[in-house]
Amino acid sequence: MMEERIELPQGTLDLLILKALALESMHGWAISERLQQVSREALQVQQGSLYPALHRLERRGWIKAHWATSENNRLAKYYKLTPRGQKQLELETAAWHKLTSAVGHVLDMA
Amino acid sequence: MLNDLLYRLRALFHRREMDAEVDEELRDHIEREAEQYRRAGFAPNEAIRRAHLALGGSEQVKQQSRDSRGTKFVEDLLQDLRYATRSFAKTRGLTTLIVLSLGIGIGANTAIFSVTSTLLLKPLPYPAPDRIAILWLRSPGIGIPQDWPSPGQYHDIVTQNHVFQDTALAIGDNFTLTDRSKAMKVDGIRATSSLLPMLGAKPMLGRIFLPEEDLPGKPETVVLTYGLWQREFAGDPNIVGRAITLDGQPHTVVGVLSPDFRLNHEVIPTIAGIDKPELFMPPAGEARKPDVYGSENYNILARLKPGVTMKQAQSDIDVIAARHRQEKHRDRSFTISVVPLIEQVVGNVRTVMLILLGAVALVLLIACTNVANLLLSRAAVRQREIAIRAALGAGRERVIRQLLTESISLSLMGGGAGLAISALSIFIARKMHPGNIPRLEELGMDFRVLGFTFAISILTGVVFGLAPALRASRVDLTANLKAGGKGSLSGGLSIRHDKARGALVIAELAISLPLLIGAGLLVRSFVRLANVPPGFNPQGVVSMNVGAYGPQFKDPTTRIQFYQELGERISHLPGVTATGAISALPLTSAIGWGGMHIEGYVPPANEPELQVDVREATPPYFGAMQIPLVRGRTFAETDTSKMPPVAIIDQKMADRFWPHGDAIGKRIRQSDDSPWAMIVGVVGVVKEYGLDTDTRMVAYYPHAQRPRGTMYVVARTTTDPASTIAAIIHLVNAINPDVPVYDIATMEQRVQDSMARQRFAMTMLGGFAGFAMILAAIGIYGVMSFLVTQGTADIAIRMALGARRANILSLVLQQGMRLVVLGIMVGLIGALGLTRMMSSLLFGVTPTDPFTFFSVLALLLLVALSACLFPAGRAMRIDPMVALRTE
Repeated sequence: MMEERIELPQGTLDLLILKALALESMHGWAISERLQQVSREALQVQQGSLYPALHRLERRGWIKAHWATSENNRLAKYYKLTPRGQKQLELETAAWHKLTSAVGHVLDMA
Repeated sequence: MLNDLLYRLRALFHRREMDAEVDEELRDHIEREAEQYRRAGFAPNEAIRRAHLALGGSEQVKQQSRDSRGTKFVEDLLQDLRYATRSFAKTRGLTTLIVLSLGIGIGANTAIFSVTSTLLLKPLPYPAPDRIAILWLRSPGIGIPQDWPSPGQYHDIVTQNHVFQDTALAIGDNFTLTDRSKAMKVDGIRATSSLLPMLGAKPMLGRIFLPEEDLPGKPETVVLTYGLWQREFAGDPNIVGRAITLDGQPHTVVGVLSPDFRLNHEVIPTIAGIDKPELFMPPAGEARKPDVYGSENYNILARLKPGVTMKQAQSDIDVIAARHRQEKHRDRSFTISVVPLIEQVVGNVRTVMLILLGAVALVLLIACTNVANLLLSRAAVRQREIAIRAALGAGRERVIRQLLTESISLSLMGGGAGLAISALSIFIARKMHPGNIPRLEELGMDFRVLGFTFAISILTGVVFGLAPALRASRVDLTANLKAGGKGSLSGGLSIRHDKARGALVIAELAISLPLLIGAGLLVRSFVRLANVPPGFNPQGVVSMNVGAYGPQFKDPTTRIQFYQELGERISHLPGVTATGAISALPLTSAIGWGGMHIEGYVPPANEPELQVDVREATPPYFGAMQIPLVRGRTFAETDTSKMPPVAIIDQKMADRFWPHGDAIGKRIRQSDDSPWAMIVGVVGVVKEYGLDTDTRMVAYYPHAQRPRGTMYVVARTTTDPASTIAAIIHLVNAINPDVPVYDIATMEQRVQDSMARQRFAMTMLGGFAGFAMILAAIGIYGVMSFLVTQGTADIAIRMALGARRANILSLVLQQGMRLVVLGIMVGLIGALGLTRMMSSLLFGVTPTDPFTFFSVLALLLLVALSACLFPAGRAMRIDPMVALRTE
């Protein structure tokens, strides 16, 4: 089962995190859950690599973190998309589409 | 961008909090994940295990999170620095040695570089200074290495040259400023109107001279320097247009120069030897006449046309000089040389400075070698520590970075210490004011020097940090951990296994030997020089220039009377045993020379008339100075203007013309139109210009027969010189308040000052050589200590097998002395090559003086031997049982 999952291409994790946070703010574990569910378990997100990525995005000012009480009454660190993160998401989404369609085009030609 | 920076700063300063947050966040993650597993039916323990597994190593995640905060570089650096500080504190002795070694090297370097850059690199404070030249006459063939030109030559150069944009004629003199509470001497220059613009002088008030003022028939005018205007005229804003009295004549002040104008004897060495001109006047009398060739008392300055080189200018002037040899009957060696102004100012100290610069570079080299050596020993002992760090996952780059951080911080500390040392040396150099070292008043540390020091200290850090760092990081983990800290480098008790360290010791010795020999040669020269008899006895003699001239001394008899009365009253001062006066005192800048005709002697053709030093003296002068009378008598009070003219010559002249001791009764005269004077006495040779300079022949005439208005008064006293000086000045003022007194010093001071440059060079090079030797000794000691530590087991085994302590001692000594002898041999070759460059600084010793070579060799061997002896002694005292058990 594990073997059938696709390793994330370099750099796409950031894009996926931004996308996940575009809907609502979430804490770290929820983000990893969401990514696996939404990708229908097809993408293998290394849970360990999630946290460094979150710090990186925070440093760039695309997401913001704050501590809040979660649904089960525990304190959790929530991440939220900033307006700049929103812009970045749009930019990267467009770039991704462009890339995939171009690559797809090349592959279909054969 | 800003967000990024703020984030990084926050991450840097709130590191602990952020780490705690990550911990908290990860714990939350694990709990949620585990809960999911529990709900799926796993046992609690298994659920937690799976959660951990899914996350991956949490320490790694934490570390990666930390890294992604972007503060890794700074944090590593801080960590390295903290670590370095700890390791410095642990090895305080070694750290001190290293910082001190570097401090000495860098400090000496900065100090010398400050001096050289001030002297040689800083441009002179004039517009386009590299196009200004000063012109000198030279006749080496007849013993005149350098002489002042005359107005006639100036005129010829002005009209015949093709290379100068501008030329100036100048003559320095002292003038007496009167009509004030007290008369004073003021140094001044009479010059053509072209001089001040050539040197970029601008008036702050009024104007400078007009070209028409070079011609006769104009009212007497004067331009003051800012300093004189401030000091003597209290900065009077209405000074322009006022008249001041100079040498009894009114002169109208037409301008005051701006404060930044600088000119002194280093730039224009005038014949009067004035130190710093404080006023300027238009040329007078003979200076305006194009046919005056006899008065060789002037300076000629010239500004080259743009694009003309000094060489081209010289060849153009050579043509004029050739014409003079032909038409003016100059000797065959006569030339007019065009000397670049910077060369004039620093020319004769250039060699000293370059040698010192070389020496100091060598000291820095030794210092670096030493530090590299000490670090190498340190790195070797730290093999185990590095191995442990590597085993814990430190990458090779990380280890190198750590070691580099250490060595760079060491060298920065060394740089700091060096800066302190150099600031101190510059302070001392200025305080000590080594006499005739030019441009010293401009000396200071500038930013270039600061940059230079820091560049050197960083470079040193990288250079010596890199070698041990690379070597230390290339470790074999298991071998090192097993070897228990002594490292795989342990070569037992043989230096041959450790080529790098051995080579460094050899290099240190090879570098210090030439330095030591150079210093030794200078010390020998200085001792020789200090032992040169000056020809008089300077002990307890005070001297000063007393100027009885001006309108009230127009009548020559008034001058005679003045000095007679002064001498009479000085001789009654308490403690004064003798007093006299002379026109030009030895070892002062005062000079006097002239032609000399000997009755019945015709100089060979193609040789100009004989030139000798000329002095006028009062009768008691020779006794007061204790200049020995060789033959005949000295001047008597009866040698007055009513009596036949007499003269005294020195032994040098007597030996040349009357080698059979028959000079007395012969007659000489200065020129064809002066009366014959009979030689009545021969006195000993006196060093007039310096202890290291050969004198010229001297003719003395009695002051009563040739009454000059400027005399040096000397007095031998048995009491405190300062009080005698004060008493004499008081007497002069009492007799005539318009007579200025200046250039006051004891003869002992003058003798000391005449050796200032040699003392300076000797002290500096001696200091460097001393540093070099200390550093080399530290180096040998360090290496031998290390060798003994590494070879403890080896020694213990030998002892256990029956080796006697003496054997161990000689074994260690042999190892050390082998390096020493090799180093000294290389150094000797270097010394033989290098000392030859110093020959111009030496006096009375050859650059290969065997005595110096031998004693320095003995000294260095002794020092090296004792540096080896301490570690060898320690090796000898090793207790084999204890040593073997700890292994």
